[in-house]
Formats: sequence, C-alpha cells, structure tokens
Amino acid sequence: MRDEPYRWIEAIQDRRDYIEDQLRPGSPVVGIAYSEGMILLTIGKGQRKIFEVHDRIALSAIGHPADIERLRMLVTDTASVQGFQNATEDVNLHRLTNYVLAHTFKQAFESIVGEAYIIKMLLAELGSTPEKNLFTGINFDGIVQTDTNFAVIGGTEMIETGMQNYLANAPADVDRDLTAALRLGLETWAVGKELSTRESEATDLEETQIDTTQMYEIVDAAREDGEIEAGVLATTQQGSSKFRLLTAQEVEAALQ
Amino acid sequence: MSLKGHFLNQSDPRYQDIALQTVVDHKGDFLNLLKQANYPLRVELPSENAQHATDIEIAHSTTVVAVLYRDGVMIAGDRRATAGTAVIYDRAEKVLQIDRHAVLAISGSPAIAYEIARMLEHSFQYFRRSQLQELSLEGKLRMLSRLIRENLSMALQGIGGVIPIFALYDLNAKADANGGKVFFYDALGAHFENVDFATTGSGSIWIRGVLRYLSRFGDTPLHGMDQRQAAITILRLLDIASEYDAATSGYNAKVNIFPNVKIVTRSGVDTISDDDLTTWYAEAQPEQT
Repeated sequence: MRDEPYRWIEAIQDRRDYIEDQLRPGSPVVGIAYSEGMILLTIGKGQRKIFEVHDRIALSAIGHPADIERLRMLVTDTASVQGFQNATEDVNLHRLTNYVLAHTFKQAFESIVGEAYIIKMLLAELGSTPEKNLFTGINFDGIVQTDTNFAVIGGTEMIETGMQNYLANAPADVDRDLTAALRLGLETWAVGKELSTRESEATDLEETQIDTTQMYEIVDAAREDGEIEAGVLATTQQGSSKFRLLTAQEVEAALQ
Repeated sequence: MSLKGHFLNQSDPRYQDIALQTVVDHKGDFLNLLKQANYPLRVELPSENAQHATDIEIAHSTTVVAVLYRDGVMIAGDRRATAGTAVIYDRAEKVLQIDRHAVLAISGSPAIAYEIARMLEHSFQYFRRSQLQELSLEGKLRMLSRLIRENLSMALQGIGGVIPIFALYDLNAKADANGGKVFFYDALGAHFENVDFATTGSGSIWIRGVLRYLSRFGDTPLHGMDQRQAAITILRLLDIASEYDAATSGYNAKVNIFPNVKIVTRSGVDTISDDDLTTWYAEAQPEQT
C-alpha cells in the first residue's frame, strides 16, 4: 500500500476520522498551574484517569483504557529506570514525551496495517521554579504541544479550542490558590462538556455560550453518575515525590 | 536479542526497540524492570579473588538503635564512619527515610547499604506508581529480604555485608493502637519483629542489656515513653555505646554534630531537629553532684 501514495494518505485519513470518532465522547482533562504547583482534573465514571509517573511528573489521558494503561506503563517504566540509573532530578518530561511517547504514537498511527492507539495524553512536570512548570499534550498522531500555564485535552479540536479560550480569558492570576485553580478547572471542564454535546454542524462556534451558574449545573449533573478526580504536583508536598490525589473532602471544601 | 552492555547507549536501535515497542508487565517489581534494562544488580568478583572470608564480621563500625515508644518508633544512629582504626567521616547518615512511613537504619558496608536503601525507595515508588496502590507492609519486608539475599555473595566474602533495622508504621493499625513496627534482619535476609527495641552495629553489644533492663524494669517502660523521654533515652544509649566502642561517635560539642534521630508515626516520618536535640542532650547529661 505504501507503493500507492494516494491510497496510503486515504488510509491515514480514514484512520484519523475513526480515532477522532472514538475520542469524541471522552471526558476532558484540564491542567492549570497554581501558586504551589500544578493541578490536573477531570470528572470520571470509575476508571482512574490521573496518575503519578515520577517524582515531579503526572499523567492523564482520554481514550481506550487498554491503550492508556499500556502507554502509562511505558512512560512510567522508562522514567523509573532513568531515575534510578542517574538521579530522580535527571528525569525530564521533554525526553519522555518527545523521544519515548511521541515516537510510539506516531509509529502506531502511521503503520496502517497495525493497531493505532486511541489516545490523547496530557502530562505535567513540576519545575524547580514556577517558570519551569511544563504541560505537554500529545495527540494520537504524535504531535506534541507544550505550555507553562495551562493545557487541556478533549474529544475534538473544537472542544479543546473552546476550553483553551475560556482559560485564556480567565483573570490572569499567577498566585491563585488550589481552591481557585480547582474551581477554574471545573468551569473549564463544563465548557468542554457543553461543547461536546453540540451538534457537529455548529462546530464553528468555539466560544462558550453558558454562564458560571450553568457551568456548575453541568458539573453537578456529571457528578450524579461520576466523580471529580484531581491530582496535584505540589512543591509543599513533603519528600521527593510531589504528586498526590486530592481527597473527596478537599474537593467538597473547594466547592462550598 | 542481547542488549548486554548497551544499557546506557539509548541511541542504539536495539535499545529503541525495547524502549519504544515493548511493554513488559513487571507486576510492580522494580528489580525485574532493572534486570530487563540490564542494570548490574550484583558486583561479582573475579573467581580467583572470590574466596569466602574465614572470619565473617558483618555488623561493624556503628551503633543504630530503634525503640518502640508511645507514638510509634524512634530510630537513631551515630554519625561516625571508620576504616580500620581511622575515623574517615563524622557526618555519615545511617538513618535513611525510605518512604512516608518507613525508615532504614544501616550498619555494615556503606556502599552496599546505601544502594540497598536506594533500591528499596525506588522499588516502593515503582510499585505504587505502576500498581496504583501502596506496597503492603509484608511486601515491603520481603523486598528488603530479597535485596539482602541478592547480596549474599558479598556478605560471605566478608566485604559487603549489611545488617539493617527496618522501622515502619502500619497504617492498618486501629486508630488508638500503636502501629509502629521494628524488624531486624540476618545476613540471609530473614526478618524478625522486635516488640520493644532493636539495635545493631559494633556498639550494640554495650547497650542491648541496658535496653532490656529499661524495657523490663524502667520507671517508664519504653513503650510508654513520650517523644522527649524516648529521645533522652536514645541519646544516653548512644553516649554509652560511644564510651566503649571506638567506631561509634557520641555528640560532638565542638562542631555540634548530633546523632540522626527520626520518628515514624501515623502522620509519617519526621526528623528530630538539632534544636530539640540540643535541649534534650543537656537534659540527658545532668551535672554530677
């Protein structure tokens, strides 16, 4: 098939459409930097979606659970060996995403006779200073995007753009505390959720049309059969491992 | 396909095959992961040099002591490192935090002991990260057994033996119960739980009887002591050990070097500060009248 470029490109496009269809209903994930570190959050239905990879690296993903688990183990194993072989400070996200993950994603996506990964991944690395915090998103085709302040993954590009716009328009507050970051994250999640329920014909409208009250109604509705999952990489965390999942009490307290 | 000797060469296409394609389920076992990556877990001596020591003296050149007190475990070690009769270092850390509720106190060959502590720390972390739950208390004990057993050939050659004390807090203990646990290990990796105290190293023989006496006949039994009482007791014990054992240092007043003292309680591992140790050391050494 590689001898026939047109058919190969067509096959790749078919594959892209198929994967995007599979990812569309995925619950978005939001990553935001706050005064003491970084938070990743989503609302899920039982399957855990936010994971610790290494001392200062966390991971979240949407997609097929089998693919998420396989690629999570790949990056966790690689980071663990590197961290032991050298020092934990020597593990860096750039290498894990650009060398290990992006290559794997791209290879699977373009090997049209093999299985593709149905996945979008968002990783966070807590820097030694806030300026060095790094969010990295990886698409199923291996495209990598980075940001220091916030990042999102959602089922479609339209959903992601809408969520990013909401975050970009939020008051720029570099010193926001964990509660403020959690609330902003939930609002952004609600924006993504609302965009995902629109008919596909309306995709040119990427600005959200709902107000804050409606956002929290969407969050409350989602919590009826799901729960808020949030993990932080916090500089205040004692010991070398900076990751922890927020407790249900912490989440409740932030919503009061 | 052999990757021997290529572990560090990550640009090697064969390494890339492993790194990028193969995800093996290690079931949370960090040692297996390292073996797959060809990390040398053992130091093998050339066969002509590999003779077993005729007189195996494993626990040496230190004093570490752990006491079960009211809130959990207090564990301490002196700071001296020796080579023969020479003092080569007076700030050695022999009480090492492994995770939020576990501490390892080491005696024996420092190179191997530090490697075992590091391996243990990474193993627990790897298990948590890959299996999404903490390694159980029994799992932690077995992992240390395995590392000590892996090191058996070094121990038998008399150059790399390690006898640690492992202190943990069992978070499954009832809220009103003391979940502190202290274990000591033999050279083959068998572990034994101590119910009131444990001590190892060359200075331990001088204080073991004192500990037994305090535990059995003391005004306040060890398990009834609060943090201050336990700290004063431990500082006194290390002082006694340093009186009789040249390889154990006491408190060095000239440069303010105190023993390492850590506590393992329900809220985690904490290090007793030098300020507290200064106060308590003064109380531990009353003026003779």
